[in-house]
Amino acid sequence: MHIDLILQNILNPPVLMFFLGIFAALVKSDLEIPQSLSKLFSLYLLIAIGLHGGYELANSGISIYIIKVLTMASLMAVVVPIYAFFILKIRLDTYNAVAIAASYGSISAVTFITAASFLSSIGLGYSGYMVAAMTLMESPAIIIGLLLLSLFARRADSGIRWGEVFRESFFNSSVILLVGTLLIGTLTGEKGWKSIEPLFGGLFKGMLTFFLLDMGLIAGKRLGDIKKVGAFLLGFGIALPVLNAILGIFLARIANFNMSDAFLFSILCASASYIAVPAAMRMSVPEANPSLYLTLSLAVTFPFNIAIGIPLYYSLASLLWN
Amino acid sequence: MELARMKKVEVVIDNTHLRLVLEILESSGVSGYTIIRDVIGKGDRGTVLADEPSESFKNSYIFTICDEERAKSITSRIAPVIRRFGGACFLSDVEWLMH
Repeated sequence: MHIDLILQNILNPPVLMFFLGIFAALVKSDLEIPQSLSKLFSLYLLIAIGLHGGYELANSGISIYIIKVLTMASLMAVVVPIYAFFILKIRLDTYNAVAIAASYGSISAVTFITAASFLSSIGLGYSGYMVAAMTLMESPAIIIGLLLLSLFARRADSGIRWGEVFRESFFNSSVILLVGTLLIGTLTGEKGWKSIEPLFGGLFKGMLTFFLLDMGLIAGKRLGDIKKVGAFLLGFGIALPVLNAILGIFLARIANFNMSDAFLFSILCASASYIAVPAAMRMSVPEANPSLYLTLSLAVTFPFNIAIGIPLYYSLASLLWN
Repeated sequence: MELARMKKVEVVIDNTHLRLVLEILESSGVSGYTIIRDVIGKGDRGTVLADEPSESFKNSYIFTICDEERAKSITSRIAPVIRRFGGACFLSDVEWLMH
C-alpha cells in the first residue's frame, strides 16, 4: 500500500475530525455535539446518499451488471455471518458469537459514505446501485444470526419475538430512509436532483465532517472498553474486516465489477454494524454482552476501516485491476 | 387540600423495551404516566450514556401513580422483563394532591 494513499485518506477534514473527536474523548474534554444535531447529521447523510444514488440509478438504468452486483451483495450478507459465527465459536459462547457475527455480516453506512467521499477526493465517482447494494446488505445478517441462535443455543423457550425482529430488521430508520430516498431519487431523476443539490450535494462533505467528529467522540468514549474484549476479539475485529474485504475484491474480480464498485463492495463486506444489528441483538439475544459486540464494531473495526481499511482495500483493488 | 395515599412505580428501561413496559401499564388500566427519554446513569450492566448511535443503548425513565393493588400487579409483570433485558423498577409510597 502506497504511503501517499494513506496520507490522502487521513489528511482529509472529515477523517481528521474523527480523530479529533477521539482525542477530545480521551482527554475528557467537555466537547460534545447536541444529540438532536447529531441525529440530524445522520438523517442528512442517509438522505443525501440515497437521493444521489437514486439519481445515478435513474441515469444508468437497470442492467445485468447491476443485478450481478446486487446478487453478490446479497450473497456476502448471508455468507459472512455464517463463517464469522464459526470462527467466533472457537472462543466464545453461542450468544456472543451470534451477536458479533451478525454485526459483522451487516454494514456501516458511515464507513461506506466516508469511502465514497475518499473516491471523490481522488477524482472517482460511485455508482447509485452501490447504495442499493448497501441497503440490501443491512438486514439479512440479523435473520441469519437468529437462525444460528435457534440451531445452536440451548434455550427452553427461544424468546425471540419474530414480528418485532422483522420490524426492527426491515423497517428501521436507515432502511426506510435509504430505500425511500433511492426510490425518490430514481423517480425524480436529474431534474429532482438538481433542485436539491445545493443542500444534499454541496454541503455533503461539511455534514460528514460534523458527523465524524461526533462518531470520534462516541468511539473515543468506548476505547476504555477495549481491554474488556481481550486479544482474541481485538484480533478478530481487525482480521475479519481485512479477510472480508479480500474475499469481496476477489468475488468482484470474478464477477467483472469495475474498480470503484469493487472497492465500495469490499468496504461493505469489511464494515460492521453498530446501530441496526446491535438494536436487534439487544432485543433478541439479551444474553450477549453489548460491551463486546458494540465496542468491537464501534471502537475497533470502524476506526480501523476509516484510517487504514479504506486506503488498504483501495490498494488491493488497484493491484487486481491495473 | 386533599391528599390521597397512593403508590408510585418507577421504571428505568432501555428504549427498545420501553414499548413493552408501556403495554403493561396500559393493560393494567393506569390513568396516566410520565416518560423522560435518554436518561443517563450507571447500573449493574455498566454506564449508560445518551450519545450512543443506537436507540437501544439509551435508557428511558417512566413513572406512574396508582393504587396499591394495581402497582403490585404492574411490578410483578415488569419483573421478568427487567430480569431478562436489564433495567430497574422501584415501588414507593406517595401522597397525591387531588385536584
